[in-house]
Amino acid sequence: MGAGTTAAATTFIRGDGKEKVTGVGRYTADLTMTGMAYAKFRYTDHPHARILRIDTTKARAVPGVVAVLTQEDLPDVRFGGLVLDRTLFAKDVVRFEGEIVAGVAALTEEIAAEAAALIEVDYEPLPAITDFVAAMEPDAPLIHPDWASYERDEGMVASGNTISYSTIVKGDADAAMAQADVVVKGRYESDASQGVPIEPRAVLAEWRGDEVTIWSSTQVPYAARAGVAQTLQIPEANVRVVVPLLGGGFGAKCDLHFEAQVAALARAARRPVKLVFSREEEFRAIAQRREGIVMEFETGATRDGHLLARKARLVLDKGAYCGEGGFLGQMAAMHACGPYQIDNVFVESYLNYTNHQPSGSVRAPTAPQVCWGLEQHMDEVARELGIDPVELRRRTVIEKGAEGPTRQIFDEVGIKQTLERAVEMIGYDRELPQDEAIGVAVGWWPCMPAPSGAYIHLNGDGSGTIVTGSQENGSGAVMAMPTYVAEELGMDPHDFTLLYQDTAAANWDMGSCGSQTTFNSGRAILAAAVDVRDQLLDAAAAELEVDRGDLELAEGRVRVKGSPDRSVSIASLAEGDTIHGKGSGEVPEVPTGDTGGCVGRLGNETFLAPQLITQAAHVKVDRETGVVRVLKVAAAHDCGVILNRIGADGQVTGGVVMGVGLAISEGTQLDEEGRQRNPHLLDYKLITCSDAPEIEVDWIQIPTAGAGPRGSKGVGEPPQVPTAGAIANAIAKVLGTQVRHLPMTPERVWSASRGVEG
Amino acid sequence: MTRSFTWAVTVEDALAAIGSGARPVAGGTDLVVGARQGKASLPEAIVAVDRIASLGGIVEVDGGLHLGTLATHEEIVANEVIRERFSALADASAIVGSHATRAHGTIGGNVMNASPAMDAGGPLLCFDASATLRSEAGERTVPLGELWTGPGSTTADPHELLVGIEVPAPKMMTGSAYVRLEYRRQMEIAIVGATAVVTLDAGSVTHARVAITALAPTIRRIPEAEAALAGSDGGDEAIATAARAAGTGSSPITDVRGSAGYRTAMAEVIARRAIVAALARARGEQVSIPASAATRGATA
Repeated sequence: MGAGTTAAATTFIRGDGKEKVTGVGRYTADLTMTGMAYAKFRYTDHPHARILRIDTTKARAVPGVVAVLTQEDLPDVRFGGLVLDRTLFAKDVVRFEGEIVAGVAALTEEIAAEAAALIEVDYEPLPAITDFVAAMEPDAPLIHPDWASYERDEGMVASGNTISYSTIVKGDADAAMAQADVVVKGRYESDASQGVPIEPRAVLAEWRGDEVTIWSSTQVPYAARAGVAQTLQIPEANVRVVVPLLGGGFGAKCDLHFEAQVAALARAARRPVKLVFSREEEFRAIAQRREGIVMEFETGATRDGHLLARKARLVLDKGAYCGEGGFLGQMAAMHACGPYQIDNVFVESYLNYTNHQPSGSVRAPTAPQVCWGLEQHMDEVARELGIDPVELRRRTVIEKGAEGPTRQIFDEVGIKQTLERAVEMIGYDRELPQDEAIGVAVGWWPCMPAPSGAYIHLNGDGSGTIVTGSQENGSGAVMAMPTYVAEELGMDPHDFTLLYQDTAAANWDMGSCGSQTTFNSGRAILAAAVDVRDQLLDAAAAELEVDRGDLELAEGRVRVKGSPDRSVSIASLAEGDTIHGKGSGEVPEVPTGDTGGCVGRLGNETFLAPQLITQAAHVKVDRETGVVRVLKVAAAHDCGVILNRIGADGQVTGGVVMGVGLAISEGTQLDEEGRQRNPHLLDYKLITCSDAPEIEVDWIQIPTAGAGPRGSKGVGEPPQVPTAGAIANAIAKVLGTQVRHLPMTPERVWSASRGVEG
Repeated sequence: MTRSFTWAVTVEDALAAIGSGARPVAGGTDLVVGARQGKASLPEAIVAVDRIASLGGIVEVDGGLHLGTLATHEEIVANEVIRERFSALADASAIVGSHATRAHGTIGGNVMNASPAMDAGGPLLCFDASATLRSEAGERTVPLGELWTGPGSTTADPHELLVGIEVPAPKMMTGSAYVRLEYRRQMEIAIVGATAVVTLDAGSVTHARVAITALAPTIRRIPEAEAALAGSDGGDEAIATAARAAGTGSSPITDVRGSAGYRTAMAEVIARRAIVAALARARGEQVSIPASAATRGATA
């Protein structure tokens, strides 16, 4: 099947669409059970303090309270991704404002809240470390003094409050810099920000014997299962995580998130327990925000725009705990190189603990901020060279055969085509009014190879059930699966239903993260479809007494090629309920490079089948107020072969809108102790539909090595990557100066236009 | 926690309930949202006044207006008399909160919530509106300038219910506008706002009112700005002087929405845009409602 010709390319009606838009769909918070109790957490009173005493006596005495738990009541184990540094409830020390000291379950939410407030906690406040650059000073107090005793991945190179130090090294950047005609330096700083799924998270747990079922609004049910099993010290087989409809995630619902605390409360209460977060908790208590970063770039180039050297120093705010975000530093380092041909590279990246909310994967973790800084820096290089910014990128972006920052040799890459196409769509050379301009940014994002598995059962009536571990987060990626299977089997997508987001049904899947659903789960489902196809061909060959090579599947039948009247229906072949396929497919291997000089290698030193992006933004700046309106964004992406055009376009539309918010209006503001000052939607300003720009999307569809099923790559995260950078470059063009602090709020734009750094 | 919630059918029922300590609720857009945000828990006793028909309606009275306390922002924006002759009020009601807020939120609740960021407050103040407060003991009228005393506080007695707002008739050739600094186009709250009401006679300004919003503990008139406009030709110099006075007359705080320095600078810009729009309307020129959208990016 060629590019753009799949059924999904022309019509795609989501299986979960109608129930969502008509309000009958059930999300986790909608679930109730007989005898169910309600959970509330008692959060810390200080962002950083030693716990001297916890007394739950008064809480336990409140009528209607059915369970009160602290870490004392649970196995003494720590959890986390690359570093196991956190307990379910705080033990001895609290390290950020959302730290949970205790949990309560009660017959009503009000009683639970009342009891949680009655828990007495004595603290010895400790100084809060909120400056994530100063956190790495030699005399800085340590946030995890016992770090050395924690279990961790060996790739984590740590020192003091730096949880991970990574470098990307190629050649001799210092020597090359000295040879450059032009050397440009730039410093950029990004605030932390949030994923803000519209559905605040909810968890409901019910035990039967020693097995627990947990309904959770998670993007990663298998990671949640593993986390529950590890922290409660029970086998994974005893934990079933089911995700009802998920109301968005954007990464914020990755990782283990409260499933274990609620399960523990339900076990103690001997009844089902439900937790539903308020919007404020969804801001403060989750361990999954987009990190703040301070970036310093230095680039040396020849007069004609050849990039001789890139140096960069990045410092990232990890927050209080590792979570799944231990890789952030290294990922950021790759984005400080970008999809460019650079002869010599030295990028170092520090991921530092602070007393802030933990940072983790939010849609293309680290990339939008670093790309925002780097792409402005590249425009500064262009200005210094007297070369148009688009022309400089034309001369320097990677192409087939080029060598990456760790000497990975690239296969087909469509970055140059995306550049030309985006520039064409936006009308780059147009005359514009004085307060308007167009900015361009390029970016990249790797494909994330991972195992997955799927089953397809054909039922006796010829209908089919697809069983997949993949998780639908709203993108439609899972919803498109029946289309691919139907195409493989010559059936109708409506012949199939999906059994998904239930860890008891299918085997492990990475979940809705890393733009990996079509890439990995899609591969597994197609492999299962091929298995079913083989079984159907064998059965039909026997029945029709022809060689199976002469058979084809079409219109719900297996028929002899060239003699369509000689056929047998798939339904009749399935009558005995014997057709069931399974598949995993082969996980593509990450390309090799010369990574020997790199420190802190965590797996992102090379990029598998990178997704390549150019976006161009047309903005209008109200110079007097600093208010920026984004009028249009043109997005040209190389995400390989597009299997579902409507779904892919939808991802770009949403990603661009989210990127506009990141660029100009969002951003978490923190006080001196690391508490959020805008943990609500009035002052954490997501952009509204009225603010959304016109968005034009096009795809450069070329095959490449290491791609996913049918030549596809990921599409979910790339649109977030260069949006802020393109907007920044347009703003800088209007102002004649860079805005060096993200988000580029009206006040910061106004300050920059007056020559004051915001 | 609320222990008593009653629905009043008549004003008398409502006043009796308020007299015995109940808090009135109409649209609920401040009370409920405030409780959810933890600003103030819901009162022990609530009396809903939203079904009392006599408290609603927008009526033209001798060229002026009677706004029933239950008039919603949506009704205000849709009212042709207000759009034509009290345009600043329509500018304000058109941009309060979200569509849902405008459909549910009432002018009475808005005024009594006494937020210094209240969009409708500046226009009402500049139109010399007054509040009619009634309790079981009787009724009195308070000019809005004497009603608000600080964020969330008024001179009203807890036993009084705002039953209506009276707005006197403006003179012929009066134009008005309310402009707000907006970071985004919907769901915004005033960070800086300004109202201007001007009357022209034979090319000169005979009457001027200028007020600032979200720049002081209450919505505040700026006499120096008014003095700069009144008697002038409404030209660039008078406008610039008046706008500067709006900046000087502000005493904003620094908070998550902006620094005091930025807000003070914006007071001048936004006040200028409001004055320019009001003058244009006074001259009979078309400035679409809301003026905030119409004047975006307008430079001096």
